[in-house]
Parts: sequence; structure tokens; C-alpha cells
Amino acid sequence: MLHKNPHLSAQHISDEDLVRSADGELTSKRAAELGAHLEACWDCRARMEAIHSTITGFVRAHHAQFDGRLPRFTGPRALLRARLAELGTEQRVAWWKRVPLFGFALPRQVVIAFPLMAIAIGIFWFRHISERPRTVPLDQAAIPNRSLTPGATRPVTMGEVCSVPQEEVIGDVSISLRQEVLQEYGISNARPEDYEIDYLIAPGLGGTEDLHNLWPEPYRDRLWNAHVKDALEERLHEMVCGGELDLHTAQREIATDWIAAYKKYFHTNKPLPVSS
Amino acid sequence: MPPSSGENVSFAVPSAVPLSAQGSRVEREVMELFDEYRNPLLRYSLSLGLPIHDAEEVIQEVFLALFRHLHLDRSRKNLRGWLFRVAHNLALKQRLSNQASLQRMGGNARLSEEHPDLAPGPEEQMSTAQRRNRLEAVVQALPEKDQNCLRLRAEGLRYREIATVLGMSLGAVSISLARSLARLARADWR
Repeated sequence: MLHKNPHLSAQHISDEDLVRSADGELTSKRAAELGAHLEACWDCRARMEAIHSTITGFVRAHHAQFDGRLPRFTGPRALLRARLAELGTEQRVAWWKRVPLFGFALPRQVVIAFPLMAIAIGIFWFRHISERPRTVPLDQAAIPNRSLTPGATRPVTMGEVCSVPQEEVIGDVSISLRQEVLQEYGISNARPEDYEIDYLIAPGLGGTEDLHNLWPEPYRDRLWNAHVKDALEERLHEMVCGGELDLHTAQREIATDWIAAYKKYFHTNKPLPVSS
Repeated sequence: MPPSSGENVSFAVPSAVPLSAQGSRVEREVMELFDEYRNPLLRYSLSLGLPIHDAEEVIQEVFLALFRHLHLDRSRKNLRGWLFRVAHNLALKQRLSNQASLQRMGGNARLSEEHPDLAPGPEEQMSTAQRRNRLEAVVQALPEKDQNCLRLRAEGLRYREIATVLGMSLGAVSISLARSLARLARADWR
């Protein structure tokens, strides 16, 4: 059985590490250390077996509690299929057919003419605006505006940092926060493929999902783009967890000037090819 | 809408509604994910205390939301975590709504359906059923967040996915699971 023995805790594996080991959530280095200890330690091995047995017991109880109550598959499946077909049809109905005007559908020619006029006005306006002198192109910055995005971190242990799988170092941003970031940078009508709302300090390196740590980073048409920075984040994570680099140094360098950090750690003055 | 009662819910809908060519790729993708995750999501929704018909409706809403999500070409990263997160949120919302309805009616009825009798069948050993009952009793006594961590892990979610679904840190998930399993093990080996 599991137990906490203060006299053993210094030399034996903690319950938390045993559970993480059973769940395959340890780094390969830590897993190897635990494996070596388990080979030699009957006490920890017995506790590990108790954990496995308890997990098996719990999963069986969990299934026994609910599986008998699950309705058959076919009915709900057919219902969902019908609803999806309905939803798909609704979304495919041409939008002008749904524009009411005083209870009547507009003639198609009129409905089509409105957006064409709007586009023509938009082009005229865009040309007018683009001829004006511009200051810093905020919406195309490869380096974030430091007053808006200085970087923000949360307290993390090395165990937490290094238990993040390599492919999940980069992190995802919620849609609402994405909109807030774009607004803050004064960007409207951005297409998802134009920008990655990127963490200045990646979550896998202790960065937080916070306005102060996020900025719109262009994906394309620039040398130093979001894909290049993603590669740097993975490289730094690897170095931190491999003991080659201190976590705080990694956080500071990426927040200060990630391009300089890239050049330093990839030993190159220009980005290496990345698959996007 | 699905019927509001009955264990074996069936629907008077033809089993083969033709899918149009446009958008059928997303529909097929959603149906494949439904086949894979409907039961785990339903078990999880039931474990949050929903009656079966509400849980079934929540799962329908989850997959309709998935259809809209994929139709808008949004992120396909970790769709399993996405599904459980949406199911979790919708199930809690439904549970609150049920609680409010009950309070309005002034009733004291239970929100969830009775837990099934875990007594053993003729082929089952008494000790096995006793063990299950003992473990389930310990789980019921855990804080709700710890229960949810355990249930999500039992459905195969990784720690990172559980953290996202429940809005916890990775470390908190790890500690919660270790704490819960330690309690379960103590009860198990008593």
C-alpha cells in the first residue's frame, strides 16, 4: 500500500513520482532514475505494484458504475448524423437568400450590388490611407512592442517544465484572448493564417497566458517569423531540460530579444529552414 | 430533440441520412470522433451527476459544436482534450440549470440518477463487488476536482489534457492524482 514515511522520503521515491511514472508522465531522464531505483528497492516496487493494482481497481469500478447505463449507440448516432446534415444544409444556403427587407427577400441584383459598392469604396479608402506616411508598422513586427508585451512568467518547477512533451512547448491561445491581443495591437480583420498569437515566453518555459506575454507574430513574408520562433522555443526547452541552460536565463533571453537568442543558440545569423 | 426519459434511448431518425458532397469531409470526421469518444464522454458527463437523457443531449451538443469548430477551420490540435473540455463545461452548465429548476420547484429530489447497484452478479465474486463499492465510496468522498481528475485519467487523458479541461496547472493535476490514488490505495488494502 501507499504510505508516507518521513524516514524513507529522503531516499525513496515519492508517491507523486510513482504515480507519474505509472502514467508515463516523467521525463525520460527521471524515468530512467526511477527505474534504476525500483530495480533495487523492494519497498518502492511494492508501492508501485499497489498503485497499479489500485488504478486497475478504480478503472473497473468506474466502468462498472456507468457502462451498464449507457444507451445503445445507434439511436444517438443517427440523431447526430441527421442534425449534422441539417446544420450543413443551413450553412450552405446562399446568404443573400436569408436577407429580409420588410418581410421580402431582396432582388439578387440589388443584394450583390451592395457588397460590390462596398468593395469599391474599400479599395479607394485603402489607397488613400496607404499613400499617407506611416510610422512603426506595429502589425508586422517580428519583435513585440515591449510596452504592451514585456513577457510574464509563473512559478514553475523543473519537473513541470520538463514533463511538457516537446511538441506541446509552444502552447495554444484561446479565441477570446486572441481577439484581445489583436485589438491591443490595433489590428482588425486579421485572417487566422496571417498571425500566430504567440507567447513571448512559451508556456513550456513557464510563460503565462496573459496579455503581457502575447503578441501577434506574422507567419509569412518575413525572415524572422512565427515558425522560426517556435523552433527556438523547442530548442531552449530541450537545452533547459538537458541541463545545458538555466530556465531563468532562457526566459530572460527570449523576452529581451528572441532573434538574438536564436542566433546565439542556433549559431547562425539567419533562420534555418523550418517546415511550416 | 431526444426523448427525455428511458435508459435505452432510441430515435425515430433514418439511419442513413445522405450527406451532401460539400462539407461531407467535416461531417465524416465528426462522426468518426463520435464513434471513438461518445462512450467516454458520456461516462464522464454521467460522473458529473447528470441524468442520462441530459448527458446524452450534452454529448450531442458537444459534437455539433465540434462540427462548427471544424467547419470554421479552427485548430485541430488535441481534439480529444477539446471534446472533454466542451463536455465538461456544458455538463456543469446543465447541472446548474437542473439545480435551479429543482430549487424553483422546492423539491428535494436527487439531481442525478441513482447509482446502479454494484452488487455482484451470479458470476461475480462478492469480494470484487465489495472492493468496487469501497473504492467508489472513497472517490465520492474526494473533493470534486480530485474526482474529475481521476475520472478523466480513467478515460485516458494525459495530465496536460486534464489540466486544460479543468483549468488547473500541470503540477496540480499530478498532485491531485497522487493524493487520490494514495487514499484509494489505503482503502483498497485496508
